[in-house]
Amino acid sequence: MKYFSIKSILILLGPCFLLLACEEEFIPEVNSDPQDIVVEGYIEAGDFNLPPYVILTRSQPFFTAINFGTLDDFFVHDAFITVFDGDNTVVLEELCWNDLDEEQKELINVLINQSGIGGLDSIPGNVCVYVDFDLEMTGEIGKSYDLRIEVEDKVLRASTTLQNRVPLDSFEFIIPEGNLPDTLRELRVVLRDVPGELNYYRYFTSINGDRFIPGFNSVIDDALFDGQEFEFPLPKGEPRNTSAGPTTFGLYTLGDTVVVRWTNIDQDNFNFWNTLEFNAINQGPFSSYTRVESNVEGGIGIWGGYAAYYYPLLVE
Amino acid sequence: MKRLNYYLLLFIGLFFSTWLGGQQQFTLSGYVKDSGNGETLIAANIYTKDNPAQGTTSNIYGFYSLTLPEGNYTIVFSYLGFTDKEIEVELKADARLTVELIEGVSIEEVIVTAEAKDNNVSGTEMGTINLPVDNIKTLPALLGEVDVLKTLQLLPGVLSSSEGNAGFYVRGGGPDQNLVLLDEAVVYNSGHMLGFFSVFNADAIKNTTLIKGGMPAYYGGRLSSVVDIQMKEGNNKHYAVTGGIGLIASRLTVEGPIQKNVSSFIVSGRRTYAFDLAQPALEDTNFKGTNYFFYDLNLKVNYRFSDRDRLYLSGYFGRDVLNYNSQLRGFNFRMPYGNSTGTLRWNHLFSDKLFMNVSAIYNDYEFSFAGSQSDFSVAVRSGVRDYNAKLDFDFFPSVKHALKFGINYTYHQLTPNLANATSGDVEFENALQVKYAHEAAIYIQDDYKISQRLSMNIGLRGNLFSQVGPYTSELTGKVYDNLEPVKTYLGLEPRWSAKYSLDKSASLKAGITMNNQYLHLVSNTTSTLPTDIWVPSTEVVRPQRGIQYALGYFRNFKDDLYETSVEVYYKDLRNQIDYGESYVMDVAVDVENDFVFGNGRSFGAEFFIKKSKGKLNGWIGYTLAKTDRRFEDINEGRRFNATYDRTHDLSVVLNYKINPKWHLGAVFVYGTGNAFTPIKSLYLIENNLNVEYGDRNSARIAPYHRMDLSATLTPKPHTDKNFSSSWVFSVYNLYNRRNPFFIYYFTETNEETLNATASANQVSLFPIIPSVTWNFTWEGKKADHPNEVF
Repeated sequence: MKYFSIKSILILLGPCFLLLACEEEFIPEVNSDPQDIVVEGYIEAGDFNLPPYVILTRSQPFFTAINFGTLDDFFVHDAFITVFDGDNTVVLEELCWNDLDEEQKELINVLINQSGIGGLDSIPGNVCVYVDFDLEMTGEIGKSYDLRIEVEDKVLRASTTLQNRVPLDSFEFIIPEGNLPDTLRELRVVLRDVPGELNYYRYFTSINGDRFIPGFNSVIDDALFDGQEFEFPLPKGEPRNTSAGPTTFGLYTLGDTVVVRWTNIDQDNFNFWNTLEFNAINQGPFSSYTRVESNVEGGIGIWGGYAAYYYPLLVE
Repeated sequence: MKRLNYYLLLFIGLFFSTWLGGQQQFTLSGYVKDSGNGETLIAANIYTKDNPAQGTTSNIYGFYSLTLPEGNYTIVFSYLGFTDKEIEVELKADARLTVELIEGVSIEEVIVTAEAKDNNVSGTEMGTINLPVDNIKTLPALLGEVDVLKTLQLLPGVLSSSEGNAGFYVRGGGPDQNLVLLDEAVVYNSGHMLGFFSVFNADAIKNTTLIKGGMPAYYGGRLSSVVDIQMKEGNNKHYAVTGGIGLIASRLTVEGPIQKNVSSFIVSGRRTYAFDLAQPALEDTNFKGTNYFFYDLNLKVNYRFSDRDRLYLSGYFGRDVLNYNSQLRGFNFRMPYGNSTGTLRWNHLFSDKLFMNVSAIYNDYEFSFAGSQSDFSVAVRSGVRDYNAKLDFDFFPSVKHALKFGINYTYHQLTPNLANATSGDVEFENALQVKYAHEAAIYIQDDYKISQRLSMNIGLRGNLFSQVGPYTSELTGKVYDNLEPVKTYLGLEPRWSAKYSLDKSASLKAGITMNNQYLHLVSNTTSTLPTDIWVPSTEVVRPQRGIQYALGYFRNFKDDLYETSVEVYYKDLRNQIDYGESYVMDVAVDVENDFVFGNGRSFGAEFFIKKSKGKLNGWIGYTLAKTDRRFEDINEGRRFNATYDRTHDLSVVLNYKINPKWHLGAVFVYGTGNAFTPIKSLYLIENNLNVEYGDRNSARIAPYHRMDLSATLTPKPHTDKNFSSSWVFSVYNLYNRRNPFFIYYFTETNEETLNATASANQVSLFPIIPSVTWNFTWEGKKADHPNEVF
């Protein structure tokens, strides 16, 4: 769907040189600037109307190996966090994993699993989440949500709007082109974009009940296809450090159960994911850095609203 | 306006002063040529033996005109690498004298750059270097491919854009600020293979002139430099075939007279073949059909249809082609890109003092990409196309004045990344607009020898640039018709340089140059890519403006055996363009909406010492410089190092002729490491590590240094036979220095446990690389019936 990046294709031109190239470790200077507060918070409407939640962490100076779960002072505690939906304000309560009972853990896991964040069971240490546990506020399409965080003498602000949803239809698994194992399938979907309005899309896939993983290029706007109806392949989401080679990348396996989470997001969210993903895959001699465009004032990270559809499918 | 009046008055004054001399004056004029092949010699020196200050130089067509009082003179014709010729002239009427110089000199002499005699000290030009291509062929070259643009990088003030790359930066200017001309046609993308090789096949090129400061009014449209390259005209005495076989490419050139001494032609081609040879190995793989190659074709014919008229037709056509085919996933694409240029020129002599050239020039740079996978396909194309007409006059009213004036008009057509795609039956198109523009210029300049000690080059250039329709303004929504002006810019550029001789072998020079640039290419990489697009000045993008101040001290030692110079410069750059810090390439968006604007400055000192003659010759150039930029939208408005900032840059170039058979060349370069943007911190989103960057270009990679050697063996240097050949053995990066090419970060997170690792790796590109090239020449000296050929 996303255009082939010509720049990354150009890098194919270099192989004859890169064969000659050699690599060695480079030790960067460790920056002593104060750490930033990283916001990762979401609210969702659509098939499920979910309450707002926020994970607050700190950025870390360059390291070689670390476990974030057990890292002292990684999670930012004692923040006063509110979300205002134009009518009401809720205060998010800080809940740390080790203090929760099984029922609470299950609810948190459901929430967290919807986004690209994995389940918290396996993480050592004490992961903490700020959440509207009493479900006083859940996402409603068309509403804007203002996040305000008071922490360590700072105030962080962000706002997100839950967009109108644009559905997918006609899901079909086809045999992909190429010399590939016959158990692999490509997912084709049809989108009917809404004419005359800016639509920004982001999607995830979950295989056999595992967490939702965003597509490799998970976001797109409709600048090129405003109002059009068309079919396109929707590759399986792969983890950033995937071991999937070119043979299997983005393809589904026969017999698997897939859930496609297809969302509409606002422009600020699109800019965040677009710059984040572009920055993650574009490094090297033919690329400059891309600064991730955060919608959080006073910190970095994302306050994101998803208007989502969930499509359970069987690969056949 | 006041300033304009001043200049007009000055010029009118200069004109009239010419005719008020009183004593009768006569003009000696003609061409200076190479006796071996009849090629005209550019920038040859012509002067009176008694008073070398009474002299001139030949223009790019080899024409000279020298006006002197009536009398008897010994006129010296000199061109480095050639034997001087002295001719007694009794000047009592205007006279024509075309002189052929013989290559080689009685003492064994090898010349690296040709600036005849004390031109370095006596001329008004600053920061100008002439580089005949024959003189660079013995220097070491990456993979044996001789490259004029890479040789230019060995001069002070000129930096290579990155390892092994033909792209270059001049005195802190960006890669788009260099005006690269091939037979007067602008070459918009001068690189093959991502810029690792330039598009200039050394076998087809006669001469290269680099102007990095004190740009005369004749040139315009770029802020930083001019690289003016002339193609050979073709041997007009006999047929010759030259060629070579190298690791990367092979070359073949055929030239000869069509009608002896009247017309001649040259055809020169070059093509790579490494991937062609690899095709059988790909036959049984999933990548069958994948190939990459580039080629160049240079063509030129000239015809002298009278004593006063000469016609030249020259052309260049080059392409890089990448075909990728993966049967694994049924994905394939084809990506050809390259330049085409054509130049038709007519030289006419109105009188012995007035030389005219009319040129009609066409040039085109085109990039295209077409890929498909199952029922999805995409095609992208971009480019620049120019139609250019020029009228230039050289006027030599007296020995004190050499005037040049003319007009120039170009119609530009700039195609952005036009993309269309199909998915099944559905088509998508980005709605970007092709942009059209007029660019016109008028100029006049005078090289005025005021006294024995003082001379000046004064010039003025006026520009008009107008974006025209068809166009729909994104700002106002207004629809413009064909050729209706959308936005017009005017620019006036005074140019001034002066020389004051301190004594016979030393001079002081100073210069001020103002420039406007109306076409821009913005790259967010260290080198330019074929996908980078040229954009015009529009309602959004204003012209880049620059002013350069330069001061130099030039001194020759030991009867001009050693030339030295120190030049300092300061450049003020306005309306500089860059991409915003969160730029993401998006084919649906007009790039000008991704631009941010700011200012820049660059200052430095360049030290140069050169020995042109003798068995051992060469030069040492050292530059100490600082270049920075300030953009409202980058680095929160704080000043930052430009990508082109290199504090120290040293080049040592040596040639040693052991004997007629063996010739050694060596190059050593050292440069401060490139500035890059370091990591500030790492942070977690969706359980993946992400990079937060620090201040732009606030860190440096390790310094760059490298030594190359070459040895040229000519087994039979004095052969009388028609055929001769030589071997060039060269070693790139002799001591295998691992120079950093780029740094990348690798991060990994276990999403289940939040265990994360990060590493930074430095990639070095070229290790020690030996190469061998075989070159040959066949000269049909006896061919006396050339008419039969065409």
